[in-house]
Amino acid sequence: MRGTGLALPRSTIGVSRWRRFRAAVDWPLIITVVALCAIGLLNLHSSTVGTRHHARCDTQMRWMIVGTIAFVVVTVIDYRALVRLAILGLVAAIVLLIVVRLLGEGAHGKGSYRWLNMGSGQPSELAKLIVILALARMFQDGEPTRYTPEVLVAWGVALAIPVGLIAIQPDLGTATLLSLIILTVGFLAMPSVWPMVHVTLAGLLAIPILWEKMEGYQKDRILGFLDPNPQGNGWQTWQSVFAVGSGRVWGKGMGESTQKEFVPEYWTDFPFAIWSEEWGFVGSFFLLAIFGFLIVWILNVGLSARDRVGAVICVGVAGMTFWHVLVNIAMVLGIAPVVGVTLPFISYGGSSLIVFFMAMGLVANVSLRKHGY
Amino acid sequence: MLLRSGGTNGGPALGELHRRLKWVALVGIVGLLVLAARLWQLQVMRGEGYFVRTVSNVVKERYLTSVRGKLLDRNNVPLADNRPAFSFYVTPRHFTPAVGAELARLLGLSDDELQRVLDRVAVGRKRDARMPIVVLEDQGRDRAARVEQALGRLPGVEVRHEPYRYYPQGALAAHLIGYMTQMTADEADRFLNKGYDPNELVGRYGLELAWENYLRGKKGIERYAVDARGQRLDEKTAATLIQGERVIGAVPGANVILTIDAELQRMAEKAVAHVPAAAVVIVEPRTGKLRAVVSRPSFDPNVMTGHLTKQEYELLRRDPRKPFVDKALRATYPPGSVFKFVTALAALEDHHATEDEGILCTGAYELSGTTFKCNATHGKVDLIGAIQKSCNVYFWKLAERIGLDRIAETARLYGFGVPTNLGLNGDAGGRIPTKAWYEQEQHVKYKIGYATNAATGQGDVEVSPLQMAMAYGAIANGGTLWVPQVVERIEASDGSEITSPEPKIARDIKVPADALDIWRRGMWKVTNEAGGTAFDHGYVARVPVMGKTGTAEIRTKRKKEPNERNIEDWHPTRSHAWFAGYAPAGDPEIVILVFIEHGGSGGRVAWPIAKEILEGYFTKIHPVAAPEGKKPEAARPVAPAPAAGKKPEAKKPAVEAKKPVVEPKKPAPDDDLEPIDGDD
Repeated sequence: MRGTGLALPRSTIGVSRWRRFRAAVDWPLIITVVALCAIGLLNLHSSTVGTRHHARCDTQMRWMIVGTIAFVVVTVIDYRALVRLAILGLVAAIVLLIVVRLLGEGAHGKGSYRWLNMGSGQPSELAKLIVILALARMFQDGEPTRYTPEVLVAWGVALAIPVGLIAIQPDLGTATLLSLIILTVGFLAMPSVWPMVHVTLAGLLAIPILWEKMEGYQKDRILGFLDPNPQGNGWQTWQSVFAVGSGRVWGKGMGESTQKEFVPEYWTDFPFAIWSEEWGFVGSFFLLAIFGFLIVWILNVGLSARDRVGAVICVGVAGMTFWHVLVNIAMVLGIAPVVGVTLPFISYGGSSLIVFFMAMGLVANVSLRKHGY
Repeated sequence: MLLRSGGTNGGPALGELHRRLKWVALVGIVGLLVLAARLWQLQVMRGEGYFVRTVSNVVKERYLTSVRGKLLDRNNVPLADNRPAFSFYVTPRHFTPAVGAELARLLGLSDDELQRVLDRVAVGRKRDARMPIVVLEDQGRDRAARVEQALGRLPGVEVRHEPYRYYPQGALAAHLIGYMTQMTADEADRFLNKGYDPNELVGRYGLELAWENYLRGKKGIERYAVDARGQRLDEKTAATLIQGERVIGAVPGANVILTIDAELQRMAEKAVAHVPAAAVVIVEPRTGKLRAVVSRPSFDPNVMTGHLTKQEYELLRRDPRKPFVDKALRATYPPGSVFKFVTALAALEDHHATEDEGILCTGAYELSGTTFKCNATHGKVDLIGAIQKSCNVYFWKLAERIGLDRIAETARLYGFGVPTNLGLNGDAGGRIPTKAWYEQEQHVKYKIGYATNAATGQGDVEVSPLQMAMAYGAIANGGTLWVPQVVERIEASDGSEITSPEPKIARDIKVPADALDIWRRGMWKVTNEAGGTAFDHGYVARVPVMGKTGTAEIRTKRKKEPNERNIEDWHPTRSHAWFAGYAPAGDPEIVILVFIEHGGSGGRVAWPIAKEILEGYFTKIHPVAAPEGKKPEAARPVAPAPAAGKKPEAKKPAVEAKKPVVEPKKPAPDDDLEPIDGDD
């Protein structure tokens, strides 16, 4: 195990390797993920049973198996080795995004080519992990004087390129998510927080300009959010809010959702609406609490990490999880515009699921090696 | 709090990091608490209001049935149409046994009928409990009204106005038209993938099956909202619940116009109504277009389409005449002497036969130790005489000269042995044996007896009545074998033409004109001169007819199937009666083929039926004035009165007398070779 950089708690010297390994594994993290997957499957089952969509349960389960394998693989490889490859990964991601853009030209009817089928998923989903690793590489140095303005700007540009490429796909949801992850890590790891404050303010001021650049349907979604009505743009939000609200305190009961007939494609972006409808405030709060625990636990792993790299990875993953949960549920609750942001482990779909399994693998990786090398 | 100071592990550079980390965690928790607050607002504070407005409303989607295209005859007489009717639908989710009981009480359903309703609901429940499924279709106005008034007590039940398939001519051309049924559970997936509604009827047989894709049209979709009791919500409320288009209109199916003439078809069916089993094919030799195709016994497509009871089905199933087999297209039979043209034309073409070679028929024929009996002792006959009297001996001689494979080769030229490509009811290919077939597939040694059997359309030769009609079409038109055609034109519901298939030639047969002429002159004598196998049983005065009779022996003594029905006049060991011919002789307009299964003698049974149909055709459908005097009188010194079939008293006893002598003796030392006593 030495070769993998895996160290075991000193107190367990003399105990069998398996037991030492078991002690080092981050069980709360794993149990939380398993619980979320179980809830996700239950919700998918109860909302599709008796309809032609029920086969999605099997598909989702298959993706979960693939995700578990991805989790193990990412956990086993030393995270410092991964971070060393981060710059290469960033370059590869940028190339891939450009290729996707060139190949996808005109290939898709919807005017959005993020779903160009490249093997198993979307490069833009994977970009989130690569950006987190790149951020860890960027902030690996503990010496504040190394962060000269030139270095910071160079990094900033390097990170802005994939975000920009994803934004013009156009996949505003993912681009926003990436920006939020970068900002979160920046606030944590920059020698001084002031540059981050400036960047944030600049971003907010740029919103009107962005608005002008947006596609019609993107504008529609935001307008729909600002003025929800069932006839026009706000259809999904309207129905989703009705679903959540009608769940009341205890919910309608499993499989009793009636709103699912109105919420389009609920299994990808709106599973929380069905969950809330069937399990009520109690169930919704419970699910929210599990996410809260997961995020805090990941930050806790970051806190106990051996080095800055581990801490930054954890903050990156925690930030990614947090923003996904916040944006998705806010959208379901009608307090954010409809953007294609999934709910970790609950939404139906392979690429989101696998990226989150890999992200949790990174955290388990840091956790496993927290006691030294 | 889960966050604990990790300062002991981190180096000095981690200190600031950890301080900020806690801030990040705090911001995160605040974010989630905002969500929780919003949840509280929606679910706890306003929940009741949302609940009331959502719990009861359900959007349903249903197909709008497209009106199925009609099947029309060449004069636009509807053969398959749609009539106004009502269907009762049930949404399995809302259905309880009590609802079933109430429905049964209201409509006076029998236990059987109620069970069928419950079965359908069970099937629907398995598929999708929210999807309404049809439980009773083709219901009348009064029943619909009764259910509609009681809808309040019948949650989940709906009444829909849906036209139902209907065959205004009843059983007319039933095998051609076919029928429709509900899809079975096994097929459902396949149909649903093609956009069918599980409640739909699908074309199952005949043209209903073959032209399904044109007839069915395209369904529309209607989306509507209902409350918890299944009551439809008004449009304004529906608009707040349903996104996008609420109604997408249906496209009606195309009308298929047939080459069939309903009047002629009726005439032909009437002509065979007195025999238990028969097939009639009437085709235009100039185009290959079918004018009438009869297969008897048949069924009423109105009954088959959704109204078939178990008892009725049992009755049809136990009928030894096999009412579900299309005897014109699908079944094959030994053709007997109508097949002799193949032997004659092959021998003439090879110069193994001449018109005036005389052969002595002693009434029997010796072949490798077996004696075969002819149907009479014809004495010395020439080829034309042999055709006229259907002398087997003459053709056996020719068969010995040309061999089996030459017969088979010629038979194939005329379309035997392969399907006609009509594309309907499993249009059969039949069987034309060859030496190779006997040796390689039957593993028997070839014998000359196989050739002599084939020469007279016996032994292992099997053809469908349709094939025979098409072959006689080629004889009539001088060698063009048509692909039979039954669809004249396809029109959209607004009357615009979609397609009209061109007549297709299967083969141009290079048949020597003189050979054909000899066969035709033989056929002329069959129907127009004394001693002809047909003429002795009737004569058509109105137009000159030519043709050939056939009496095909049945090889196997068949066993009765357990619990099969007894059918009057059905004698499964009797010969098949055939007649094939055309009229008018000089400029053939229609070819007629009459086949009476186990009917007996071709001249005595099949010909009078053909005669009746021909007379009907040339008086009602294409009236021609009967030519006064000339040929008829001259040509028929023996039988003057053309009073339907029964006049040739003088001849009949002679023929009958011979039969008993012939039939019982099949000396058959070699039971593969069948003594032929075929034709009269």
